[in-house]
Amino acid sequence: MASLLPTINSRPLPAAERTCALASCRAGSRATVVDIGCASDEACRLRALGLCEGTDVSVIDARHAMLLDVRGTRIALGSVLTAGITVQPIPVRG
Amino acid sequence: MTSTHSPHAESDTSRDSEDRPTTALSSLRVAIIGNPNTGKTTLFNALTGLRQRVGNFAGVTVERIEGSFKGADGRRVVVLDLPGSYSLSAGSPDERIALSVLLGRDRDDRRPDVILVVVDATHLDRNLFLASQVLELGIPVVIALNQFDLAEANGVRIDVPELIHELGVPIVPTVAIRGEGVEPLKRAMLTAASLPTPKRRFELPDAAAEALAPLAACLAADGMPTDAAHMEAMRLLGVNHPEPHVASVPGIAGAIKEAVKSLTHGGFAPARFEAEMRYAWIAQVLSRTVTRRVNALPTASDRIDAFVLHRVGGPLIFVALMVVVFQAVFSWAAPLMNGIQAVIAFAGNVIGARMPAGDLRSLVVDGIFAGVGSVLVFLPQIALLFAFIGLLEHSGYMARAAYLMDRVMRRVGLHGKSFIPMLSGYACAVPGIMATRTIEDPKDRLATIMVVPLMSCSARLPVYTLLIGAFVPATTLIPGFTLQGATMLLMYLLGTVTALAIAFVFKRTLLKGPVRPMILELPPYRWPSLTSLGVSVAQRCQLFLRRAGTVILSLSILLWALATYPKSATDRTMSLQARQEQQLAHSALGRMGHLLEPVVRPLGYDWKIGVSIVSSFAAREVFVSTMGTIYGVGDDNALALRQRLINERHPVTGAPVYTPLIALGLMVFYVFALMCISTIAVTVREAGGGRIGWGWAGLQFAYMLALAYLAAWIVYAGGRALGFGG
Repeated sequence: MASLLPTINSRPLPAAERTCALASCRAGSRATVVDIGCASDEACRLRALGLCEGTDVSVIDARHAMLLDVRGTRIALGSVLTAGITVQPIPVRG
Repeated sequence: MTSTHSPHAESDTSRDSEDRPTTALSSLRVAIIGNPNTGKTTLFNALTGLRQRVGNFAGVTVERIEGSFKGADGRRVVVLDLPGSYSLSAGSPDERIALSVLLGRDRDDRRPDVILVVVDATHLDRNLFLASQVLELGIPVVIALNQFDLAEANGVRIDVPELIHELGVPIVPTVAIRGEGVEPLKRAMLTAASLPTPKRRFELPDAAAEALAPLAACLAADGMPTDAAHMEAMRLLGVNHPEPHVASVPGIAGAIKEAVKSLTHGGFAPARFEAEMRYAWIAQVLSRTVTRRVNALPTASDRIDAFVLHRVGGPLIFVALMVVVFQAVFSWAAPLMNGIQAVIAFAGNVIGARMPAGDLRSLVVDGIFAGVGSVLVFLPQIALLFAFIGLLEHSGYMARAAYLMDRVMRRVGLHGKSFIPMLSGYACAVPGIMATRTIEDPKDRLATIMVVPLMSCSARLPVYTLLIGAFVPATTLIPGFTLQGATMLLMYLLGTVTALAIAFVFKRTLLKGPVRPMILELPPYRWPSLTSLGVSVAQRCQLFLRRAGTVILSLSILLWALATYPKSATDRTMSLQARQEQQLAHSALGRMGHLLEPVVRPLGYDWKIGVSIVSSFAAREVFVSTMGTIYGVGDDNALALRQRLINERHPVTGAPVYTPLIALGLMVFYVFALMCISTIAVTVREAGGGRIGWGWAGLQFAYMLALAYLAAWIVYAGGRALGFGG
């Protein structure tokens, strides 16, 4: 039986000034989800799809809707949702 | 890779559970569940050998697909294919059904004896979320690790024995599309019923377990199995309102509120508590069971998407695909249609020649063969259209089309997801309306239901084909694309654009509300399983043939009788055609037609077209069979109906009855008119049933009929005003 206590909350929350809305990320960028601030039904669905707090996402396409790579799956999200999701951008190496 | 693995004995699994249904029955009930796009249906087909029974779940139109196979021990295994779900949190009607069946709260089902969870081996982390919830239901579970070959090809190595140890249930690697692993899976399902029931595989922090205990007790007190109650207690934390299957549990709202308060007090975030716990466990399991080869290269799906979702190229590819589909439906089916027509004509002649002249021969040859035969010839076109729509769905393109169309759909107040039912509506409005069940918002769903029948379905094909074939020349516009194909495409476009406009009106009036955001998975592209595609096309063709053998046959016989009686006095000096005209005009059908004529006259139609329209109120394709019956009367030469329409002249003026303008107006009428009993029935049920359902269905029928009449009048009157004749 696995105990999960050490895993949860082990990731330090990023400083507020380094976070932004997912909607403002550009195509090609990567970010870590910090908070899913949308209606609970949508948040519940997003989490079931693997998009939850602490998950890294890649922005594949950003136009009216956003196309993300989440855990190897492509998920399209409407702009209302991406505006409500707070992320911490992952700096590009090199 | 197809060997069956049994779980290791775990200390935390019990040999039996008080909640467990008895398995000492002659048959074993297995429910299949899995994320969408995991190959669940392909696996279901492989397990049941395509012996399926399609129906509906009680009270809702969610399709219920059941099949069976005989196990090695002689037991019959009944397999129920549940709708695809990402989790047990039921956001849409189909997910609600899956959950209530698994919890034994479905009206006409006992709990399954075994649950088969189909897991996509290429996306194990996401798929294990649902699997971890199912493991806590207190029912024996078997996991099919599907697309195992693809995972290996992608550099994902899964240690199956270790994964079995972690999950505590039998796991069988499968490649459903090739039938690999199916026999071991069948054996695993048979033995699973006697294995220990799985339990939650991780521990909750003490404070959280204490906070959730009263909520679980509240659910268990209402009769929910204990294991399932603990799973539900954690799941309900992230749900806005308790779903129907638990909403009536006494004290549920207060118990949830109390659990949320206690968890918050303990320093947890209740809304994301379940996701955090499960994904943390999944991460630990995967770290011990899965190794990945670092692969930075883009996948085939990524490379295809670079073109298909391109800002400029994407919409162009979409339009080009639609053009190819409609041109193909029109031209590729022609040889087969000619073949069927020849067979029907030959059979009619052979049977007719063996029967003595008289009313019985007329009934068989002119009523049944002319009526039903004129509709049957469209079977190849309908099969092709369903095959194309199926290809778009199974290959993964349909979700891309929805993503591309999101911008357009948003402008009318819906989102991209509504485009999928609309596109399915090109094949048939019934599955199209049923596909709306994946739309979470009730108003968006209803607005989509109201406009799906405007998408030109396969039943309109016979009408379009007959009229285009007769009145539109096959002029080549560009190589491989003719004016006939372009006219067909125009009819489909007209329906689509109108559907969007009407949705706009609904979303701003009766169904006013904010646009719900789109959440849509774009599955990886894959080659469609020809068997699954073949099965779905065959099922739809079967439905069409059943309709031809029942509704259309009965109406053909009725129309023949109405066109034959009462008989007029025969004047032998008159030509055969003149005698037919006289008989028709004298018959009950003729008299009814003349009564109707004032209503259809403003559209440029004569009484024969009026009768054909009225007779097709139950099913559009009956328009063609009525024409076949009207013009087939006394016609032993089996002239093509198309030719008869071209040659038809007004008895007084001698002018052609059918001009290209009238044909165009008629096609436009059929683009808009809702003439399909099945669609009305499915709208009634999907729109809420009872008075509310009938109200929406009535409104749908009325607005579409008004639109059809008005548009056909504009075409006819406008065309004449512009000097196109008619």
